[in-house]
Amino acid sequence: MSVINTQTPPTGPAQKVAEFHTPLILGEHGLCPGCGEPVALRILLETLQELNLVQRTIGVVGHGCYGSFVRIMDIDVLQCLHGRAPACATGIKRMRPDTAVFTLQGDGDMVNEGLQEVIHAAARGENVTCILLNNGVFGDTGGQQTATTVLGQRTKTSLEGRDAEKHGYPIRIADIVASVDGAGYVARGAVNTAREVMRTKRLIRNAFESQLAGEGLSLVEILTMCPTGWFVTAPDGPDYLESSMTAAYPLGVLHSRSAEAN
Amino acid sequence: MSATAPVAEMAPLELLEGSTAIARAAILSNCRFFAGYPMSPFTGLLENMAKLMPAAGGVCINAESEIEGVNMVIGAASTGARAATGSCGQGIALMQEAVAEAALNETPLVIFNMARNQQDYFQCTRGGGWGDYRTLTLAPKDVPEAVEHTQLLFHLADKYRAPVILYGDPLIAQTRVGVRLAAPDLEPLAPKDWALDGTMGGTGKSRQVWTWAMGKVTDPGLGPDGHWRAVADKFEMIAAAEQRWESAYADEAETLVIAFGSAAKFTEYVVDELRAEGHSVGWFRPITLWPFPGAALAQATRSSRRVLVYELNAGQMLDDVRQFVHDRDTVRFIGGVSIHESGLSYGPLLDAPVLRDRILAAMAQPTER
Amino acid sequence: MLDSTSEHELLILGIGGQGIQLIGKTLAQAATSSGRHAMLAAEYGGEMRGGPSQATVVIGERPLRSLPILASAGSAIVMHDRFCGVVPERLRAGGLLVVNSSIVDPAAAGDGYRVGGLPATDIARELGKPQTAGFIMLGAFNALTGLVTHEQLVDAMRSLLPPYRIEHADSNAAALLAGSDAARDLELSGTVAA
Repeated sequence: MSVINTQTPPTGPAQKVAEFHTPLILGEHGLCPGCGEPVALRILLETLQELNLVQRTIGVVGHGCYGSFVRIMDIDVLQCLHGRAPACATGIKRMRPDTAVFTLQGDGDMVNEGLQEVIHAAARGENVTCILLNNGVFGDTGGQQTATTVLGQRTKTSLEGRDAEKHGYPIRIADIVASVDGAGYVARGAVNTAREVMRTKRLIRNAFESQLAGEGLSLVEILTMCPTGWFVTAPDGPDYLESSMTAAYPLGVLHSRSAEAN
Repeated sequence: MSATAPVAEMAPLELLEGSTAIARAAILSNCRFFAGYPMSPFTGLLENMAKLMPAAGGVCINAESEIEGVNMVIGAASTGARAATGSCGQGIALMQEAVAEAALNETPLVIFNMARNQQDYFQCTRGGGWGDYRTLTLAPKDVPEAVEHTQLLFHLADKYRAPVILYGDPLIAQTRVGVRLAAPDLEPLAPKDWALDGTMGGTGKSRQVWTWAMGKVTDPGLGPDGHWRAVADKFEMIAAAEQRWESAYADEAETLVIAFGSAAKFTEYVVDELRAEGHSVGWFRPITLWPFPGAALAQATRSSRRVLVYELNAGQMLDDVRQFVHDRDTVRFIGGVSIHESGLSYGPLLDAPVLRDRILAAMAQPTER
Repeated sequence: MLDSTSEHELLILGIGGQGIQLIGKTLAQAATSSGRHAMLAAEYGGEMRGGPSQATVVIGERPLRSLPILASAGSAIVMHDRFCGVVPERLRAGGLLVVNSSIVDPAAAGDGYRVGGLPATDIARELGKPQTAGFIMLGAFNALTGLVTHEQLVDAMRSLLPPYRIEHADSNAAALLAGSDAARDLELSGTVAA
């Protein structure tokens, strides 16, 4: 155990825990206890700060619980139609190629309503970063089945659990996008443990660096807890995510143009 | 009242297909983003944009669907760029959610409905999206006017921060006419201080383009109630300010023929013929389909004994005419559905001799007044 | 009817592959280059060759009032008899009718017109360029009407050829000239030129 040397002055000023909050978050979020989405927002905004992109970033936010983040994030934002964020991001980036452009979408937004958008945007090689917050349910409308709901998962429209014969199989959108030629960087992370939060933050950083390098579309799928939609208690959310989602959606880098070039 | 945007008379005459003329007029109006999905007779405009945009420093994307196309345009326009899309009938139907969104989040954009006929009147003037919005719609009668209207529409879209529509047709898209093209000379507009450029992040004053207009926790917006009231008020103001029409012989004619777009050009032609033969007939033409020039129509029909409505559909503008005409009992419909066997253009009813016969037949009927 | 002499309306009728659209475009472009107002409206079937093909050209000194679907025309060029039924519908009495007499019998083309028959397809074959019959008809029509100068017509033809067809420019010019020459020997009012 190291002991703090009190004989010499500290190298930097003391920081309170509260000050670790990024100043880009203007206030409290209003989402449920145990929700993973505010954690993802925080590491997204911290990354923009660390990359010094705060004053050259435009976000495109879809429709889901995370839509309320528009009120608390201090970033230029187009709040777009459900599913259409990659198309809107395309128009923004083409007109302002010097900005960093990201989309913030849920699984219902990206994989249900707007499935073709992200695939075509990837195929065009649009230099934008898509952030998918995947919790496997429509949280905002009260916990219905989405295209990414894992098999066995109970939702309000699959009460006995998702059954492939009745409800079809979940779509692994990140794997699909990783297979598209115009994609620059595709990875999947989670925010259920401190370790995964730090790892996922690195994935987000990699994605923005890929965008800035002009490698094509980057996508970071982030598995987020939705204890309300999953019918579990808030403290149980992280473990539930680990046991149900990560088996269906393995974490890691799925595609990296720069890594594959080296 | 003409919708004419001043154009330098010294520009040389060029023989241009309507689609080419409109594309060049758009680029002269500083349109720098275009996205669309092929559909005849809109396709020619998309092809021209694809050909001409790169040299202008702009972008044209052959989108994967009309829905993606119009949403790309919302994105481009949200940065302050002048942007447009287009299609016809069914393709415009696919865009309706986004058109309403652009109206409610106040994104200016231009939609070129290069329609197959006149069956899109309700679609243009009533729309199919949700919410209290309207779409200002100009219906040019020929290619030179389509050029003027194109330039005017980019101006009006920016002026009112709203989606606006050019209602064209196959004759406007595909006819080659000598036109003069020059940069428009229109009143200066306020700078787009609302546009997203990314520079305001972290200042507490970052910008939002947001239909719900809730603002930030630190700086609340009007919210949906206040914002949507304000948007509705804006459209009411546009309705009063932007009505455009033209007419001839209304005060002295027993019979007044009402038509829009290409059908109005045919009407003007036939009415001139009939007048030269001594018939008491005139015409009235809404140039803006929304806002419909209702007060002007009421005035123009004050002394009419017959009001004939000629449109190439089952009677859509007819509703607006009946709403505003001086005496509803004078109204007779002489148009109808008439589609070319290809399904892509007008049928035989859009023809001067046919129109002439219909007007004469109507004039032979006794009047109500 | 109104006096419409201030606008000259021409109907060009034939089948796809005869260059109907190209000669219409050439005349309209030549008129535009000479500073006049012109309009070219086209209607043709989906087929590139063999289907009905129709073009209308209007030329005037002021912005045009003529319609893209002509109410009536002052002149017509008829290249093929399969689709010349439009002539009695639209060509005004006393109008100029120039027919390709290699294919169409000028006597059958209609009454009450000033008719000139020109064996354009035969002349084109003699020139060794059978696909230039349309330009022969256009050269003759322009010589009869003087709507534009011969040079304006040739310049317009050249300006409209896409790069991959530019090698046809000289034979097209020769066809325009042959048509113009043949028109000199043409007697109107139903007489067929030899």
